Amino acid sequence: MSAPLQVFEPFRAGLPPLRRYWKSLWSRRTFIAEYSRSELREQHFDSVFGQLWLVLNPLLLSAVYYLLIVIIQGTSDSARYAHLTATLFLFYLIANSLTGGVKSITAGQRLILNTAFPRIMLPISAVVIAIFKFLPTLVVFMVIRIVIGLPFTWEMLWAIPVLILTILLALGLAITISCINVYFRDIASFLPYLTRTLLYLSPILYEASALKANVRALEVLNPLFPLLDSWSRTVVHGQAPQSSSLLQSLAWALGVLIIGSYFFLSREREFAVRL
Amino acid sequence: MLSASSSHKTNEIAVSVRGLGLTYTTAIDRRPTLKARVKALGRGGKQTRTIRALDNVDLDVEYGQVLGVIGANGAGKSTLMRVIAGILPPSQGRIEVFGSVSTLLALGVGFNPSMSGRDNVFLGGLAAGMSREEIENNFAEIAEFSELGDAIDAPMRTYSSGMYARLAFSVAATVRPDILIVDEALSTGDAKFKEKSLNRIKELRSDDRALILVSHAMATLRDVCNDVVWIHKGKVIQRGEPNIVIDAYQEFLQVGKSAAIDEDV
Repeated sequence: MSAPLQVFEPFRAGLPPLRRYWKSLWSRRTFIAEYSRSELREQHFDSVFGQLWLVLNPLLLSAVYYLLIVIIQGTSDSARYAHLTATLFLFYLIANSLTGGVKSITAGQRLILNTAFPRIMLPISAVVIAIFKFLPTLVVFMVIRIVIGLPFTWEMLWAIPVLILTILLALGLAITISCINVYFRDIASFLPYLTRTLLYLSPILYEASALKANVRALEVLNPLFPLLDSWSRTVVHGQAPQSSSLLQSLAWALGVLIIGSYFFLSREREFAVRL
Repeated sequence: MLSASSSHKTNEIAVSVRGLGLTYTTAIDRRPTLKARVKALGRGGKQTRTIRALDNVDLDVEYGQVLGVIGANGAGKSTLMRVIAGILPPSQGRIEVFGSVSTLLALGVGFNPSMSGRDNVFLGGLAAGMSREEIENNFAEIAEFSELGDAIDAPMRTYSSGMYARLAFSVAATVRPDILIVDEALSTGDAKFKEKSLNRIKELRSDDRALILVSHAMATLRDVCNDVVWIHKGKVIQRGEPNIVIDAYQEFLQVGKSAAIDEDV
């Protein structure tokens, strides 16, 4: 920027000028890319064994849960295993966004205290990292799918909008929780219980169709429910998702993203004195 | 944002601060928790306190000036610098900044201690709005100036505080912004590096740049500054010729030692 004149004036409660905010966010997109890359490198995900662990960890988890299903239900089949792995991998995309996002602001203290930049970059980076961790598991799922011999259909392309909705929801959740954690630092320690509860409330260990109608009625309260159900329908069963599930997911994703971002943006200029 | 772009003439205004006031609310606990908040519900204890950090501050900085900022701990020096850098929004008043500001204050780098110094320099620069090319072009100079050697690729948690300060200062001094704010970075580091950074500051003095130095090293300020402002409890007490202001400040400190320094003036 040449010959910049910057004016800083009191800000009234509310949003910063959004266009300028967006421009300054967009001009720093390399930060998000670079941050994700160095974070992944630091966690050794650029090495063979790091990548292997990234795949091995959810695979072992799915094996444990599959064992659980077989023991409790007595029987199971390969499609069931495909459902379990597919939904579990997608669930971990959201769970990783949450665990990465929750401390993104509090851990970025030094940067926040000394540099003016759109703070929302930090939770966004956490979601980008979670996406990079998700991609190899998607490949593993496709291999599982081929080995099991599930048919490929055109309806599976519905997976793309479902994935986009998942990422939007993950963004909204990460932004919201990173903001809450500035004010209540113990949210980070509470988070594992939250994700564990979400895991059991979501159609991962069971299929959505197996639930009784009165239980399913309550599932409108779980933002992950329609997403994971749609995901299973498309990538496992090769069917188009129910439009009601898609609309519900869309409402959740946009709702959480917009409300969370509003909270975040209207408070982010206060973060520097709260850290 | 940090690239020195246009040429500014001496005596042109670089930073104009008018009627600046800053009040903020912060948590009393260092680590505010939901648990503490819930516990306090019954007792009705206060969880936050309001701090009046700056009060009706007027300050102009011109290009070509080297402004020293002095004052006791907690006087509001760093807060003022953060407001000028756009990190904290003011509660009252208006700040106009004509030019690019180096916002790499005291310890701007090192935001993720488990990453290497190199990564941190890149991330800090990118966050400040520099392009990757700009940082790459400057990186060799930064690394050389910091004299960290191979340590530049070691995680920053292995750095000593002196090494932190070296890297921070090297970054701030190598990118050549129109307005450079150095917040107490000179006070750490060994004698050799101190001298080196002091020389760098002197080199950076030029007609088309404004330097703002926050420091407790009075001798240094007498040496390099051509203007000094003394801040106490969020107010500007005195501004002017370095020797005069610093003498007054030091006299105040002497008096303060015997009299009640904490009393509101």
